[in-house]
Amino acid sequence: MKRVTGILGVALSLVFILSGAVSAADLPGVIKIGGQGVTSGAHADYGRQMIMGATLAIDEINAAGGILGSKLEMKFMDSELKPAVAVKNARYMVQEWGAHLLFGVDSSGVCMAVGPVLPELDRIHIFCHASTEKLTENLVYKKGIKNIFRISVPVYQDSIVAAMIFKDFPEIKRWAGINCDYGYGRTSWALFKATMKKYRPDVEFVAEVWAPFWTGDFSPHLSAVMAKKPDAIFSTPWAGEAVMLLRQALLLGVFDQIQVWWQAMGGSVDALEGLAREVKGNKFKGKLWATARYIHNWPDTPDNKAFIKKYLKRWARYPNYSAETSYSAIYVFKAAIEKTKSLETAKLIKAIEGMRIKCPGGERYFRPEDHQAVYTVPAGKVIHDPAYPLPVLGELRVIPAEDYYRKPPFPPVK
Amino acid sequence: MRGELVNWLSPQNNTPTLPSPFKGEGLSGGKRKTMETLAFQGLVGLSLAMYLWLIAAGLTIVFGVLGILNFAHGSLFMLGAYFAFTFYGLLGINFWLSILLSVIGVGLVGLVMERFFLRFIYHLDVAYQLLLTFGFILIFDDAVKMIWGGVFMIPPMPDFFTGAISIFGRLFPVYNLFIIGAGIGVAIALWLILERTWWGRIIRASASDREMASAIGVNIPILFTAVFMFGAALAALGGALSTPVRVVAPGIGGAIIIQAFVVTVIGGLGNLKGAFAGAVIVGVLTAYGILLFPIFELFIIFVVMAVVLLVKPEGLFGG
Repeated sequence: MKRVTGILGVALSLVFILSGAVSAADLPGVIKIGGQGVTSGAHADYGRQMIMGATLAIDEINAAGGILGSKLEMKFMDSELKPAVAVKNARYMVQEWGAHLLFGVDSSGVCMAVGPVLPELDRIHIFCHASTEKLTENLVYKKGIKNIFRISVPVYQDSIVAAMIFKDFPEIKRWAGINCDYGYGRTSWALFKATMKKYRPDVEFVAEVWAPFWTGDFSPHLSAVMAKKPDAIFSTPWAGEAVMLLRQALLLGVFDQIQVWWQAMGGSVDALEGLAREVKGNKFKGKLWATARYIHNWPDTPDNKAFIKKYLKRWARYPNYSAETSYSAIYVFKAAIEKTKSLETAKLIKAIEGMRIKCPGGERYFRPEDHQAVYTVPAGKVIHDPAYPLPVLGELRVIPAEDYYRKPPFPPVK
Repeated sequence: MRGELVNWLSPQNNTPTLPSPFKGEGLSGGKRKTMETLAFQGLVGLSLAMYLWLIAAGLTIVFGVLGILNFAHGSLFMLGAYFAFTFYGLLGINFWLSILLSVIGVGLVGLVMERFFLRFIYHLDVAYQLLLTFGFILIFDDAVKMIWGGVFMIPPMPDFFTGAISIFGRLFPVYNLFIIGAGIGVAIALWLILERTWWGRIIRASASDREMASAIGVNIPILFTAVFMFGAALAALGGALSTPVRVVAPGIGGAIIIQAFVVTVIGGLGNLKGAFAGAVIVGVLTAYGILLFPIFELFIIFVVMAVVLLVKPEGLFGG
């Protein structure tokens, strides 16, 4: 009899380990958080910033006693920007490593692959960077995959904000697009055109070119676009590719011929650092505009200042938006677990839906319909400011989030 | 190519908005503009082609002489870029000297690859070559991540290259012009070496009949090592020259080797003229694809490759 109970006990604990399940009432001693992002290649700084942001939050929480006494532990994997790798990572982290919570992920293709496997893994996932509107509009709102949350602002920032700013430049009539040859670039350009057309029927879209990942040389794209003599350029390549694109544009004299260049994610710290020399030398002649999903010099609040101070002290760098979103994601987990005293997916989903939470980038509100965090990020000119060691966004335009976020029922983009 | 040297900082360069090339003009003026647009785009494509040529040249020489299809050839391009970045961007060494040091450094990496690894598999099935050289890609990528980190690097641009020249009424970067010159220079130098020197005759002899060359006293092992080092050095030259305008990051080797394969398949593997022609075709077609068919630009290159494979499987200059 004793032997049978022993075997049963072992079997039960095996089942327990395998399922990764947690009893409803109490939390495990260690809460495991699985993150992933791109940590190699031209876009690698985003994954690194995710690690730095999340680590800062986890260390703070653990130093203060953890979440209801449970310590946090993180594992972070390289998604390599490949959907198949990211799905494998997510499965590994949940099924083998035993992650209770998931966060991270850059790039549209990757998030659209990871999103649909979450119900099967029975975990919530806070996306911290991937920005296609389809993640929240289609997968959450239309298909009802409730495990998905997104803490970073989607392409509304890249496209609708741009249209709402530049509609007030009556002399700019000819727009050209240099866009990423994948979901993010296509959807940004489509949303920009649709919004701009609504405000300014007189505007023409004179050229569009597409650049896949690993485009080393943008000069053919630039010369093709400049052949159509645009007044302004709308551009979405990001990270190292954005830096090289802008540098090649300078070589081709593009900034002598246009009035405005919108570099959607040009307000990202890695891009700003890469362009420091050119910005300081005023090579862009005040024509380069950009935004990000959080910028360190806004909002001017004690929360944000404290965050920047801690981050600089710990990592000796300014936080990029993927750092702020990852840092905040960990605190969203904390708030949700403290509310439910549980790691059960269904309960956590209920806790985050409608949550309002103070973050360094300002208060975020998780819309229950599409699980998208609503918060405002300004846009501005890329300028040199002696107060900072890297270029910053200046002459900020602050448009309230309510005005530029798309809202349910999300009419299709024409 | 006559034109005045202008810097994009100079005020006379603030071209007011010119009329559009495609509308609101007389037919002849419009046609001329269109021709100029095409010519300009072709020139941009030519500068794109020169990086491909430098890679494909080494790839094809190594294949022609050693019979090795070196998958890791793109990684040598990447190493060339990293070495040049380290010497020029980090250590502040003179730009030209940095390129030279990078070429020598990668040549030495090639020495190690050939002498201690490839040499032992010449007699084995071709699958072993592919496996071994593919393994090198993974090793080099990880080594680069360990030494320089996974994050991209943006090397500084030498100041003397930041200007542009007015061609067809538009500004063409001095650097792209320099790349075109360098690519053509390498092509002429390679032709002279292979056709006019003793070394070239030995290489050509060994490529056409290894055993006969050996029988008349050519030291084949040393020749193989030297040729492999030379191929590696050419890849490194391409990588080093790319650093002022391209991102340096792990993975750039894998991205460019695919294009280099397309170039050699179109031109004919093992044929230098073919590599040059293939590079020009791929570079210029890519540029025109982006201008004229922006949605299909990647597709066009592979269509051309497929057509060449169907009509002349040995490549345009092969066989």
